[in-house]
Amino acid sequence: MGEFEVHRVRFFGLVPAGVRCLAYQPRGGRLALARTDGAVEVYNFAANYFQEKVIPGHEARSVEALCWVTGDRLFGAGLGGEISEYDLSRLCVACSVDGGGGPIWSMAANSSGTQLAIGCEDGSVKLFQVVPGGIQFERNLDRRKGRILCLSWHPSDTHIAAGSIDILRVFDVRSGQTVQRVMVNYHVHKVKRECIVWSIAFLSSGTVVTSDSFGRVQFWDWERGTLLESHTVSTSSVLSLAVSEEEDSIVVGTSTGATYQFQLLPVKMGSLEKRWVRTKPFQHHTHDVRAVAHSSTALISGGLDAQLVIRPLMEKMQKKGYEAALRKFTFPHRRLVSCARKARLLLFQFSQHLELWRLGSTDETGKDGEVLPLCRMPEHLVQLKSKGPEHIYCSCVSPCGSWLAYSTASRFHLYRVRYEGDSISVKKVPKVPKLLLPAYQLQFSADSDHLFVASARGSVHVLQLLEPGGCKHLHSYRPTAECPEAVYLLAVSSDGHWLAAASGDWAIHIYNLKCFKHHCTVPTYDCAVTALAIHPITNNLVIAYSDQQLFEFSIPEKQYTAWSRTVQNQGLHKVWLERDSPITHITFNPKNPSHILLHDIYMFCVLDKSLPLPDNSALLMNQSTLKQLPETARQRQLHAFKICKKFQPLLFADLLDENCLVMVERPIMDFKTQLPLPIQQKKFGT
Amino acid sequence: SSEDEAPEEVTFGAAREAAEAERKLEGEAAQRHRELLKEKRRRRQELFIEQKRRKLLPEAVLQELSAAPPAGYQPQPLLCSSTAQCVCCSVTTLQGFTSLYLTRPKGNYTALRLKDQSVTALHQQLAKDFINTQLYGPDSNRAQANEFFSLANKKDPVKKAAVQFVDKSWG
Repeated sequence: MGEFEVHRVRFFGLVPAGVRCLAYQPRGGRLALARTDGAVEVYNFAANYFQEKVIPGHEARSVEALCWVTGDRLFGAGLGGEISEYDLSRLCVACSVDGGGGPIWSMAANSSGTQLAIGCEDGSVKLFQVVPGGIQFERNLDRRKGRILCLSWHPSDTHIAAGSIDILRVFDVRSGQTVQRVMVNYHVHKVKRECIVWSIAFLSSGTVVTSDSFGRVQFWDWERGTLLESHTVSTSSVLSLAVSEEEDSIVVGTSTGATYQFQLLPVKMGSLEKRWVRTKPFQHHTHDVRAVAHSSTALISGGLDAQLVIRPLMEKMQKKGYEAALRKFTFPHRRLVSCARKARLLLFQFSQHLELWRLGSTDETGKDGEVLPLCRMPEHLVQLKSKGPEHIYCSCVSPCGSWLAYSTASRFHLYRVRYEGDSISVKKVPKVPKLLLPAYQLQFSADSDHLFVASARGSVHVLQLLEPGGCKHLHSYRPTAECPEAVYLLAVSSDGHWLAAASGDWAIHIYNLKCFKHHCTVPTYDCAVTALAIHPITNNLVIAYSDQQLFEFSIPEKQYTAWSRTVQNQGLHKVWLERDSPITHITFNPKNPSHILLHDIYMFCVLDKSLPLPDNSALLMNQSTLKQLPETARQRQLHAFKICKKFQPLLFADLLDENCLVMVERPIMDFKTQLPLPIQQKKFGT
Repeated sequence: SSEDEAPEEVTFGAAREAAEAERKLEGEAAQRHRELLKEKRRRRQELFIEQKRRKLLPEAVLQELSAAPPAGYQPQPLLCSSTAQCVCCSVTTLQGFTSLYLTRPKGNYTALRLKDQSVTALHQQLAKDFINTQLYGPDSNRAQANEFFSLANKKDPVKKAAVQFVDKSWG
């Protein structure tokens, strides 16, 4: 693997926002997720649970409910009182309609996805029709006092159950009248608190399931208004519940971070009478679980600890394999760090500001595993606050460190950074060319002369950077075929000749920068691209896909390289394919042209193309065993994948020069103090 | 044989004295045992305090740290974001009024001009306050940061000591 001096960076103070709501779309196998900072993400389950779309948040936006409706459209509603449709191609809010009832606490779509019902602060339930281009107000249902915290349609769309404070109500949709009103708090003795119904579900049998702040999950007969069953699962609130499509399984999430599964099981073997039984407890989260979803094969939960956990159910799995593995996602599936190699600077992207740091340095050398003392500490050079309430989409720093750029939903900013001795001056570049915003990815050329801006509809704009601090629009590249999706990944060759762009439809287009023309398209692959990079010497494009496949495409020859074909014929190692997180960054070592350096959240790998590929019988992570072997035995067991798992969770890794690496880690406990408080848990004997 | 003989004749007084002496002995033994346990427990307690004190930073550094204001760190125990402005805190001053109005005693109220605030923001703030009180209010049984970390240390495969922050405002 070689000897590297590693700059181990732990001062990226990223605090991921908690998960607030989830909406599973069974038809497309996609999960929409909204965070407490207003960001909305879409995970594609078929593409190995890749986070394929991210819509950054907004200071004033709070999303309390998400719904998928007919036509694969996504709607969200929140405490701002508006129902917004999200444009998943342009990754922004398409349109917003005011609900007219104050803050919206809940939203539910009917079974056909043609109507939306919202539960408002003023106690009203309003119906909206989904029409092309937006939604239209239909009518109000009977309004009573008490904010509507949760809603659920009956599968036949004839009734809606709504949960409020101390009360659950059932409405007849056609007449709009309240047909049943049930008090949910009279079973609790001697307690003066009110009972908040946090979530509700309406089953086709006429049973209404509620979860409340006393930690109970209750089953009601809505017509008679009676309690059928009551299960106390926790001492703290049960905040969320979700029912499977077959209505035989329910998952609930509590404030303590525990989730439980309820199943409808026959009372005795073969008996027809069935009862709901609390079956499996899980403790995947440390903070409140405010959102749960139920797919046909898995229980999905999202907590305020920023984790998304997908737990496949064993009984639904055909075979025991990687599909049945527990998946936990805390960090985004894209790069939030850019590195100016020559200047040894790191740019950290937060939701509303950027931080520019200079790495420290050491004069000493040492042996494997030693920690070297710093002669100069890392310096926080610049903190750039983004103006306005919008969160940042993307940011980048040029390799020489003199240019900084970032984009929000409606603004694009470019800065010139000057270093005079110890002082830094950051000056905004005025009169930036008007481009269709937002920019989804920014990339500077290797000589810091050009800035590439990834835009909507598959297009990439090139800006030429002029000294002493200006820029002009040079050219715009568009793909040959009509592409509705935006470009989200860019790669530029170091000789400035080629540009590769991956768009949301998973197509990769390559453009010739010298002739300003489209060069070719990489053959389509049925999975999302997670990282792209062009080799500085051979101009081969290395592509990492979300199913952990790796391809190498020769740009001058317009075909896959021989090495890539060998990898595909032999297949990658099983352990490599069963990794949980996608490759987010690929880079190269100019001094060793056969090396490819890549990393995901849990490992860093130096891929040596000159060595043989391991087959499934060989040990993939063999670095520690190799160290103990004598030289001759080592030569026999060497294979191409040299993996290091010492640095975790790894947000970014790059090669600064031929024997210097930088690794940006974000240990999970480091940000736990900055999350909202968790419930107190006791341990016997402490 | 000795089994045929009647049991020994002991006077009531002698028996009572013997019983009392035995009780006294046992009482003293129990007392000594209790004292021993107390002593052990006291020594252990002192040892823990000493260990904790040893683990802390030197007195001088502690004083300096607790005196200095927290630089840039803002613990956010509330679900509500710190950027949400409290609507009631804006006060528009009324100019040109005589001192008659200004002599009213300071009550527990603030005057605000609704034109300055949007109604949406007010509603949103009330809604956020409701959620905050429900989830993080007085009955909510929430753990502070040091309790959270201490528990994590105790549950670790390698058990570690409880966590104490130097700056108490961190929780």
